Amino acid sequence: MENLERHYDTPAGVVKALDGVSFEIHEGERVILLGPSGSGKTTLLNCLSALDSPTGGAYTFMSNQKEGLDAVPRNNSEKMTSFRRENIGYVFQFFNLLQDLSVLENILLIQELAGKKDPARAKELLKLVGLEAEVDRFPGEISGGQQQRVAIARSIAKRPTLLLGDELTGNLDTETSNKVMEALVSACEQENITSVFVTHDEGLVKYATRVIRIDSGKIVSDKQTNNDSE
Amino acid sequence: MVFVGVFAGITFGGYAHNLGGMYETMQADDENGANLADVWIDNRSALWTPEEVNSFCTALETAWESSSLSSSLDSCEGRTVTQGAMFHTDETGQHIINSLWHGIPDGANADRVWMPDGHSEGRTAVAADEIVIDAHVTETLELNLGDTVSIGAGNATAEFTIVGTGYHPLHVLFAPEGELFPSEPGQFVVGYLSDAGMARLTGEVLGTSNMILLDVEGTPSFDLPDTSEDEGDEIGDVKALVDAALGEAALDARVRDRGQNEPVEVMRQDLEGTKRTTVPFTVMIASIAAITIVLSLQRLVQSQAKEIAVLRTLGVKRSSLMTGYLIAPLAIGGLGCALGALAGPSGMNGMLDFYQDLVGVPIVERSVPTSVVLSVIGSTMIVVFFSGAFPAWKASRLDPLAVLSGQNEMRVGSNLLRKLTSWMPTTLGLSIRSSLRKPIRLTMTFVAVGISLMLFGSIQMMSAGLQDTMVGGLEDDQTWDAQVYIMPEAEAPVVDWANNNSASYEMIIEMPLGSVADADEIERTFTLVGLDSFETGMRAVSLLEGNAPTGNMTVPQVMMDEGSMTFLGWGVGERQTVNLNGAQTEVEIVATSTAELARTMYFLREDLSGILGVNATSVYLELPQGVEVDSALGEASMGIVERQTLLNGINSLLDQQTQIFQTMMYLGLLFTVVVMFNTMIMNVAERDFELATLRVLGASTRSLGTMLLFESLLIGVIGGIVGVLFAYGGAVGLAASFSSWQFFVPVTIVPSVAWQLMSGVILIAVAMTPFGVWRLRKMNLVEKIKDLSQ
Repeated sequence: MENLERHYDTPAGVVKALDGVSFEIHEGERVILLGPSGSGKTTLLNCLSALDSPTGGAYTFMSNQKEGLDAVPRNNSEKMTSFRRENIGYVFQFFNLLQDLSVLENILLIQELAGKKDPARAKELLKLVGLEAEVDRFPGEISGGQQQRVAIARSIAKRPTLLLGDELTGNLDTETSNKVMEALVSACEQENITSVFVTHDEGLVKYATRVIRIDSGKIVSDKQTNNDSE
Repeated sequence: MVFVGVFAGITFGGYAHNLGGMYETMQADDENGANLADVWIDNRSALWTPEEVNSFCTALETAWESSSLSSSLDSCEGRTVTQGAMFHTDETGQHIINSLWHGIPDGANADRVWMPDGHSEGRTAVAADEIVIDAHVTETLELNLGDTVSIGAGNATAEFTIVGTGYHPLHVLFAPEGELFPSEPGQFVVGYLSDAGMARLTGEVLGTSNMILLDVEGTPSFDLPDTSEDEGDEIGDVKALVDAALGEAALDARVRDRGQNEPVEVMRQDLEGTKRTTVPFTVMIASIAAITIVLSLQRLVQSQAKEIAVLRTLGVKRSSLMTGYLIAPLAIGGLGCALGALAGPSGMNGMLDFYQDLVGVPIVERSVPTSVVLSVIGSTMIVVFFSGAFPAWKASRLDPLAVLSGQNEMRVGSNLLRKLTSWMPTTLGLSIRSSLRKPIRLTMTFVAVGISLMLFGSIQMMSAGLQDTMVGGLEDDQTWDAQVYIMPEAEAPVVDWANNNSASYEMIIEMPLGSVADADEIERTFTLVGLDSFETGMRAVSLLEGNAPTGNMTVPQVMMDEGSMTFLGWGVGERQTVNLNGAQTEVEIVATSTAELARTMYFLREDLSGILGVNATSVYLELPQGVEVDSALGEASMGIVERQTLLNGINSLLDQQTQIFQTMMYLGLLFTVVVMFNTMIMNVAERDFELATLRVLGASTRSLGTMLLFESLLIGVIGGIVGVLFAYGGAVGLAASFSSWQFFVPVTIVPSVAWQLMSGVILIAVAMTPFGVWRLRKMNLVEKIKDLSQ
């Protein structure tokens, strides 16, 4: 991302949610975006995931499937969706599993939509996050932590280039948060997936290889940690 | 929909009220009314001398005085009513018009001509050369007061001067005798002569009669043929006295009360049918409105769950919330009722105008009864209130904690559905599970769609059956061109005419002289028809079951129409004892005929001739190219009916009915669209969570659109099946409510109608998919992500 901007016109004037943000993320990194409320971290995540279109600056991306950097589509809903489908995995704070589908089916659905249906891999991923015994249960029948682990398995089921998460442990207690993060780190390392997570929980820094702090739409610090990826 | 419900309720209620008023005014025993008789005693194959009539009336009056009857006998009058022809000349030449002539003495008490102010002209006929023409035809035939008309009744032609136009209570529906449907305008004439005029027309002695009318003080209760109870105790006692007096005067006649007099009974049942239709029709619309309100409010409550939770957290009372959510439906209901009440009278007048055009009798007094307006609005508001109460109650019972923590969104999927759909692609399985996720709501939707289609499809199905019955037999099975009515034993001149004109002929006997007591001991009358052949004759008869009768059997073989067999519960192969022209006769039922609205027992003519002592009552003619009925034939007949005219009349009536039916049908279709649209919008709207999640996870609009399309298809197919079932049930119910001993409507499942219904619903459901796709495209994912994170 180079000099990325996301400005909003409001009746009170222009709000600069992102104001010239520049950084590079490399393959295999586990980045945590930290910042107070209203700092712009979620806006940055939305731009990263191509859910939102920046109003200025450049955002290029190197897919697992291709060589070289490509500009990430913006202002085109279908192309942005296609970009997400091919490259991005996403984990929500409230898990957002489909209640009518079983744990396994939640993963199969995403594979199917991406044209990569592979039940064996889906089961393997559930084993990876420690939920092999829950494959046929519905999300409503398992705990919040287990649901988030299913969401993680779902998000990496199609082998995304980049995995994103917004406050993915925000709805969990500390112990469960740690279990979820451990499952996530393990899955990312095993699948060689680059990840970026937004949080305001300093306790999660231990799971990152790099921490970017953001405030008022600008990066205020960008540091590698000692938790190197393997 | 509330508006439509109230509008329809007031339209139908007001229509039924005013229609009833029209009959009351016409039949009233006062100086403005026609004073409909209470009992008709007739014998069309005989003429009674004035002495015979006097002798009967005296015997009856004597018996009456010594009886325990509380009401008095107002009048006992002889009258001649005869079929005939009018020789009408216009710019296209001379036409012989099938006619009916009444000889009404000056000062008659019962069955007078009704001459309402502003809708009739002149006065009643008094002199021997005066006639009043029924106002149904004066305009079409361009007849005016002072014109001379040339008429006949199987005797010589006579000229009469028109001195008035008016109506008659036995000819409200302007159908020729023995027929249920009005002819085309100008193809049937009824004229009201004086008794002297009738004597001049028939060449009989003044006072000669073939009918005696009795008028009893007040209106004695008579049996209603469409009910299983016998309400006719009062008139039953009168008829018992009549039978005794007939015996004493040595007269052989048929005795009928109002329930047995077809033209009166058909109109009464029509009125009753209209009254009966009002309630279910309004209830059906109100139910659809109720379901729509319940579903919409539930959705509203669901979408405002967080606001409700916040309000509850801030201490707002449950009762306040409930009141708030009750106000919305009441306001909607109030507005709908007000608009419906404003528009209702114009709907009512439209229907009354239509009815007036259909039957040709003026509906003079029109008003919207306050009771109808109040009852329609009252019941609608009750329905609206209760349909709003449930969602309001649910809103007040929402648990703020569960809503704010998102727990109220959590639920466990159905294991059964998972097992049933696990073999399918996951997207397809999800579509099915999502569609069936809310079974109660879906059921309510299907019920609403079913009711809507009941209005739409049942009418279509019944119309198809009606069309089949009314036109099918006459069009496909019968080949005659003209039916020439004759006096008993007077077929020779008609046969001669046929031979002279190289026309084929076939004699038939057709007399309404059969009767039998049904399971409830109610005397049911039917027509006896004698034909030379059932397969190759000019009037072939379609068989539903069994084989055509064989002649000269010890016990005469007969076949009976489908309606009679259904009402009487008879079966083919049974032997039954029936009353044929007053004599108890055993017959063997060998077949059931179809495509017959009237209750009919078919004999081979030679068998029936032996029983009735009549060779023929009319002659069918097949006319060669270029030969038409002429005045010579007209003079030899008591009236001529042409098949094409009859068909045109029925078709024109069906066309008119179709207009009413179509209004209801399209109303039903509109409801189906509204209900389906409402459900599909809710389905898509409440799946925002799911769809947004899938969009964020990279699902393309196309794949999500395909899912929505499949859901629509599924709901459409189930809705279509439910709709066809409801429509069939409705058609059966409608046919049952229309069907009576006089008028039997079979229900035929016409596959094309069923397919039409199915495809209609599927089309409506699928047509909603673009809305879902549009919503998907318009979805602001950044905002949705915020929602999903709250």
